Amino acid sequence: MIYLVVAYVVAVLILGGFLWLSLGTLRELSARASGQK
Amino acid sequence: MTRSIAVAYAVARKDLTSEWRTRELVPALGQFVVLALVIANFGFQIDSQNATVIAPGVLWLALVFAGLVAFGRAFAAEREQASLEAMLLTPASAAAIFAGKAIAAALLLIACEAVLLPALALMFGTPFNAELVAAVLIATVGMAALGCLFAAMVARVRSREVLLPLLTLPLWIPFIVAGGQAVQVAMGASGSYNQAVALLIDFDILFVVLTSLAARFVLDD
Amino acid sequence: MTRYTRLVAAAVLLMLVAGALIFFYAPEDFLQKEPQRIFYLHVSAAIAAFACFAVVLGASIAYLRTESLRADRLARAAALVGVVLTTVTLVMGMLYAKPIWGKFWTWDARLTSTLVLWIIYAGYLLLRRLAEPGRQAARFAAVVGIFGFVDVPIVYFSVTWWRTQHPGPVIISDALPPQMLFVFLVTMACTLFLAAVMVAIRYQIETLTDEVPSPVVQLVGTQREPEPAR
Repeated sequence: MIYLVVAYVVAVLILGGFLWLSLGTLRELSARASGQK
Repeated sequence: MTRSIAVAYAVARKDLTSEWRTRELVPALGQFVVLALVIANFGFQIDSQNATVIAPGVLWLALVFAGLVAFGRAFAAEREQASLEAMLLTPASAAAIFAGKAIAAALLLIACEAVLLPALALMFGTPFNAELVAAVLIATVGMAALGCLFAAMVARVRSREVLLPLLTLPLWIPFIVAGGQAVQVAMGASGSYNQAVALLIDFDILFVVLTSLAARFVLDD
Repeated sequence: MTRYTRLVAAAVLLMLVAGALIFFYAPEDFLQKEPQRIFYLHVSAAIAAFACFAVVLGASIAYLRTESLRADRLARAAALVGVVLTTVTLVMGMLYAKPIWGKFWTWDARLTSTLVLWIIYAGYLLLRRLAEPGRQAARFAAVVGIFGFVDVPIVYFSVTWWRTQHPGPVIISDALPPQMLFVFLVTMACTLFLAAVMVAIRYQIETLTDEVPSPVVQLVGTQREPEPAR
């Protein structure tokens, strides 16, 4: 059923996207922090 | 205790007299409320059959938006902020000051209702009785306390016009649900008026207590 | 840094295991057929979201009592993760509702109060962005966090009460056969772990944001540089 597929695809996109963006921000902030020290 | 009451009374009186002197807010709110009714009439195609079905919704919509405008304005003025800071320097407790402001805010809201309820009965032909007035007045207590707390919070924040409804409306929902039901029954629908009003009183007590406790975190700087 | 990458890898792996169980092990529901499988992640996300907001509540109270900066950071982190999880809950819920009830939305107590929950904490995040960063933002947000958490059960109760006055669509009961229950519990555990990892990452981000003074461009962030008074 298409609703099932779309539901999980959207969930993966939202959660995965959020994780990916957060890791990216963390990486950038950590680089800045260690660069400044 | 009596000192707190004296403080609250003094603050409420100060707010109300300053509003009375400028007399800008209440007439504007009165006009707003009547206009809302006019628009509702065109938006909903009111006739004698559906008036009592639609009127409660229109009542709460108009009241909620008038309330947001009223509270938003009440805290906005620069001199309001300065006088608030001055008050906080005195030994008066933040909760007492907040109570005074909330009372003044409630009276503003009641002034809106004094225009809205008769106008609604007049324009929509719906019943106008003691049950209706009582339900609205009881709901006003809790709504005023909440509106006052968040208006005070939002007064010092950017984009307060957007933020005030966003923060306040979710907390007003229980009042609109129970109040809407009470008003519907007062206008002739079936259901339990007493249950609805009992709920309103419960909400009033809960939120008056919570807002009083939260006041010192919001008013303090 | 690599500690967080490892945590994410573990969380993703666990979610894949849960996914495999959901699609290949869980039996098909007799009445609802395939769309019923949405329920596993939909409800798990909802529970994880509530857990996050409970964390926000605790951290907010702690902040108001102690003015602990760490409590504030935890509140910020948990609120954002909670909103993301609530978004997942609402979207999956709508896609579940359509094939089962025929429409994407109804105003029953659960859906309504979940939407209100989302609005309240979206407001929380917006308030954090707009208020003066530091003590003012933290205090105000803590008050909103506490009021918001109290409000949601009250809204749920109000709508349930209102529904008894105006009966609406009947929600299908949640009785689960053992195989489904197992899959659900596993999914919920994995989702809670994922939520914890996300909060940990955001907490670290908040800590670094507080400590690193220069403005950082964040695609998903809650702090920004203080702007001059209006």
